Amino acid sequence: MTEYIKLIDLTKCTGCRACQVACKNWNDLPAESTGFTGSLQNPADLSYNTWCLIRFDEIQNGSGMNWIMRHDACMHCEWPACVKACPSPGALVRTDTGAVVHDPNYCIGCKACTAACPFDIPRYSAEQEKIAKCTLCYDRITDGRKPACVTACPTGCLTFGSKAEMLSKADARAAEVQGVVYPRNPKYRTNVLYIMPRAIDVAQLQHTNPNPKMPTTILWWKNLFKPFTLIGMGAVAGAAMLHYMVRGPHEPHGPEKKEGGE
Amino acid sequence: MGPRKRKGVSDMSAKKEGMVYVTTLQERIVHWLLAGSCLFALLTGLGLMFHSWDFIPALLGGHYAMKWMHIFSGVVFAFALVGASIMWWEHCKFVPDDLKWAMQAGGYLWDTHDLPPGGMYNAGQKLFFWTVFVFGIVVVVSGLIMFNPLAVPVTLARWAYMLHAASVMVIASFFVIHLYLGTFGNPGTVQIMFHGWATREYCEFHKGKWLAEREKKGGEESQAA
Repeated sequence: MTEYIKLIDLTKCTGCRACQVACKNWNDLPAESTGFTGSLQNPADLSYNTWCLIRFDEIQNGSGMNWIMRHDACMHCEWPACVKACPSPGALVRTDTGAVVHDPNYCIGCKACTAACPFDIPRYSAEQEKIAKCTLCYDRITDGRKPACVTACPTGCLTFGSKAEMLSKADARAAEVQGVVYPRNPKYRTNVLYIMPRAIDVAQLQHTNPNPKMPTTILWWKNLFKPFTLIGMGAVAGAAMLHYMVRGPHEPHGPEKKEGGE
Repeated sequence: MGPRKRKGVSDMSAKKEGMVYVTTLQERIVHWLLAGSCLFALLTGLGLMFHSWDFIPALLGGHYAMKWMHIFSGVVFAFALVGASIMWWEHCKFVPDDLKWAMQAGGYLWDTHDLPPGGMYNAGQKLFFWTVFVFGIVVVVSGLIMFNPLAVPVTLARWAYMLHAASVMVIASFFVIHLYLGTFGNPGTVQIMFHGWATREYCEFHKGKWLAEREKKGGEESQAA
């Protein structure tokens, strides 16, 4: 199976929110009752029923101002912290398409992924006792189609294709607009990439992680303390057995008792 | 094992010849609540951590059921830990003799003839108590955070997951020592946590100071309740 990448070219986003609507439509997600929060951003945040969202940021830039609209959804990490944290096999899986998908049938609602995710993506529903997030439209892309958001995007901000093709496209486009590809940490790859316009620092935008990585605490939890619980118990059990064979049980055995036994 | 005369005796604490009543019923109940909840939480926790150990969720009714079993056994553990702390706090305060005991590894690793007469608990048992007390608190508090990680800053939530596992590593490893020394390692010990009685010989060997103090206070019968 080909690995895919979704490219989000922020120089082309007009904030029309067609992606937001298409996502709701394809994934059969109910609308939410929302209010005005002082921004065009609506709803105010991702939720169990809102897997992608256009975020609006007003950024002071010297004497001028930049108005940034950003398509925000799961980044589909190559080495996903959510999958690492998940205790229920099959509930969160990184597929060979690159899409990290959740399966409500296996989700036990423990919320570990919500804490582990470096991008704060999975959303929990207390009512359903499950989490939900963008699946990169895994059901569409395995059928040879593009994700619903990409299909709906009218400006070419969202594009989708094979990994190799999109990586070179991202580099070319970044050079063209003198912007940067985000995230570009070679040690932390994702199957979603942004073209960040020149003059915009990702740290200035809401709900971003300028330096995404697997959280160290999650790594230590799963790679150190988890195996060493078994190693510790096993080592001590072995030592105990050895002690029993070498020293024997700890009992009163004075000289008089030894004589009595002879 | 000394003779056990149970003819016509219904009360476990009634006097038995050659035997000493060491633990109260309350101590034994709290001990097994603490041990049982701890072990069950360990079992379900390992089942949640190791995906390859799917025989555990298979036995217990799946991962979702196991999540709630883990949470509830944690609640029992928390209450039992409070009870255990109240009961054993005084017994487990370190005294100068504990250092002497520790310097000789309690006589467990090499032959030694200079062990101070033991109190109710020796330095190793005291260390186990304090380990379970300290790391038990960490496990319970981090478990509470993990119950709803969304209620706290994400950094704190991540630390909770890590510390939960780190504390379990410590408690679980020490528990294996406790299991060995309470059974095969020290014959006559595990019975104390079932029916409360140990032989006089056992108490003289392990708890000489405690036995002497208790007999000075007024004999076995008055203690047996």
